[in-house]
Amino acid sequence: MFKKIFSRDIVLCVALGANVNNADEWLKYAEREMRGDRSHSKMTMTIQTPNWNRTLEIESDVEGKKQALSTIQSPPKEKGIRTLRIENKMWNYFPKLKRKVAVSSSMLLASWMGSDFTNDDILKASSMAEDYNHKFGKDEGEFKVIENTAKSNSKVMWPKIVTLASKDDCLPRMYKYYDKEDKLRRTLTFSNIKNFDGHKVPAHWEMVPEENKTKKTIIDYKSLSFDVKFKPDHFSQKNLTSN
Amino acid sequence: MKNASILLTLLLSLPILAGVDVDLSGNVEGQFRHVKNNEEADEPPLFQDWNQENFYLLYGNINGKIEMGDSRLEANWFGRFSQSELYNPDPLFGIERDSYLATSIYTFPNKLVARDVFQLQSVDQNGNYQIESVLNKFYYEWDYEEHRFMAGRIYVNYGLGEIFNPINPFNQPTALTAISQVAQGNDGFSFTFFADDKHTIQFLLLGDKRIEGYDGQIDRTLWAHGEYQYSESIQLDYVIGEDQNRQKIGGQLSYQLEEALIFSQILYQSKNVKNEPSNDLFDILLGYDEQLTSKWHLRVEGGHQKKNNYATFTSFERFLPTEYFVAIANLYEVHPLLKVNATIINDIKSGFTYLIGKGTYNLSKNTEAELFGYVPVGTGDEAENLAQKLVTTDIGVGLRMFF
Repeated sequence: MFKKIFSRDIVLCVALGANVNNADEWLKYAEREMRGDRSHSKMTMTIQTPNWNRTLEIESDVEGKKQALSTIQSPPKEKGIRTLRIENKMWNYFPKLKRKVAVSSSMLLASWMGSDFTNDDILKASSMAEDYNHKFGKDEGEFKVIENTAKSNSKVMWPKIVTLASKDDCLPRMYKYYDKEDKLRRTLTFSNIKNFDGHKVPAHWEMVPEENKTKKTIIDYKSLSFDVKFKPDHFSQKNLTSN
Repeated sequence: MKNASILLTLLLSLPILAGVDVDLSGNVEGQFRHVKNNEEADEPPLFQDWNQENFYLLYGNINGKIEMGDSRLEANWFGRFSQSELYNPDPLFGIERDSYLATSIYTFPNKLVARDVFQLQSVDQNGNYQIESVLNKFYYEWDYEEHRFMAGRIYVNYGLGEIFNPINPFNQPTALTAISQVAQGNDGFSFTFFADDKHTIQFLLLGDKRIEGYDGQIDRTLWAHGEYQYSESIQLDYVIGEDQNRQKIGGQLSYQLEEALIFSQILYQSKNVKNEPSNDLFDILLGYDEQLTSKWHLRVEGGHQKKNNYATFTSFERFLPTEYFVAIANLYEVHPLLKVNATIINDIKSGFTYLIGKGTYNLSKNTEAELFGYVPVGTGDEAENLAQKLVTTDIGVGLRMFF
């Protein structure tokens, strides 16, 4: 039924009927559209400063909301490094030294591979719908504003995230991350909506930290396939350490 | 060493068959280091009678891998060229001498193979230079369901200790050195059973000819290492076995606090099982790890390793730390391109303190430069460890490339 309502052939937020006033459903729809149940993607991550750029090529596999495995394909220094996420646990694997390192909670603040994304982003990226309460804010022009406030029992780094979503396609165009003092700390923007394997997904992401706006991290999706079949042990310690 | 080159060439030149992935990667680094000797090293019994010198180092790895379904064949060749007048000391009392001992510090880890049956390595010292060549990884790996089998010269890498990691005798921590992308190989077999995502156990059967000499018998290692995720915040590692003619048992317990990780390691080693003169050994480590801010990472390690009364002090089996130690390591990202590392390590008993500073700058996608300094300070009058007197004051620069 849900799928039928959100049939991509007729997708428009205004067509969502009563759900247009339900922020939870709005976010769930966006997650379903962008993530699917299982996906394989190839992307570039560019860390950009005024004088210097550094680009990583990454392949990423995702199943559900709790399992993900990414492998860096270039540059040579990082080639082969893998990150596995299962539930709330995360490991990095450095194949040249055959070294597996569990990413502890103490490391969640740390930058992932020198980017503006943290280990926490990689670990918790999918929990927006579960760890936050959602309500609509005042519309900003063509965008619907959704305020995501951390649930009292959830362990999240950002107490508040504000989502700006397009009224046309329901997909997010911006996440604003606020700290405990309600101060804006960083902004993630989405653009270049593309059709990947029947799903509409922003192909261009930009994360800009407020403390240094001259620096940003850009993710560009090169390919994205959905409903990919993975081996039963694809998201496992064994597979993590097999390259 | 020709054998090693041939093996590597064969590995990399196998025909590319359907479904076979071939990968070649590596790194090379050149270093210049200006070093100043500890004045006390000049005295008997050390006789390290030099003042200041330069030390040049060029080292690199070439790593090749062939992957066929659930099987892998992988090799790594490590080469190192070092040049300094420290390799060529003047005769003492008319007697020719080996290199000054400090050269062992600058080329740590000296042994690129921890448990060695098939030499596959060469060291050539001539005049004021030394050339080393070693195939420190060469193994076949096969995955079958929840099992993994490995045979050959393998890396064994586990344990949370970065400065001291007693539960893993098969790979020396290199956090205190200026060398990177280096691990030690071990000759033998490994069998791993992945029971589930909470429990993995690895069995090792390794051999070592270094103790008896290459013409002697193989000293065996029988070893088990398990990882058990007890709960979301507690992980237990256990080790048990016989290694280098000692029975060893120990483990690691790590506990995740909300914003930090604390961990401890204990390892007990019996006396020599062949009844050679020895004392039993006991190592303990306590560690604390926290990402203080998004740019600042703090690591504290402290511990004790019971003194081996029968070890020769020049062996550098354990470069640092010493009998009792505490170390504080800070890593700070000054800029996306620049990371600074400052470490201080203190021998509580002797008062010996060692400061290490490193700054690493990304010059390009494949190249980084490193400026480093090593300064021994606070050498106590009651220093019991002669090796501490060998630690020099260094400043150096390195250029590192990856391909």
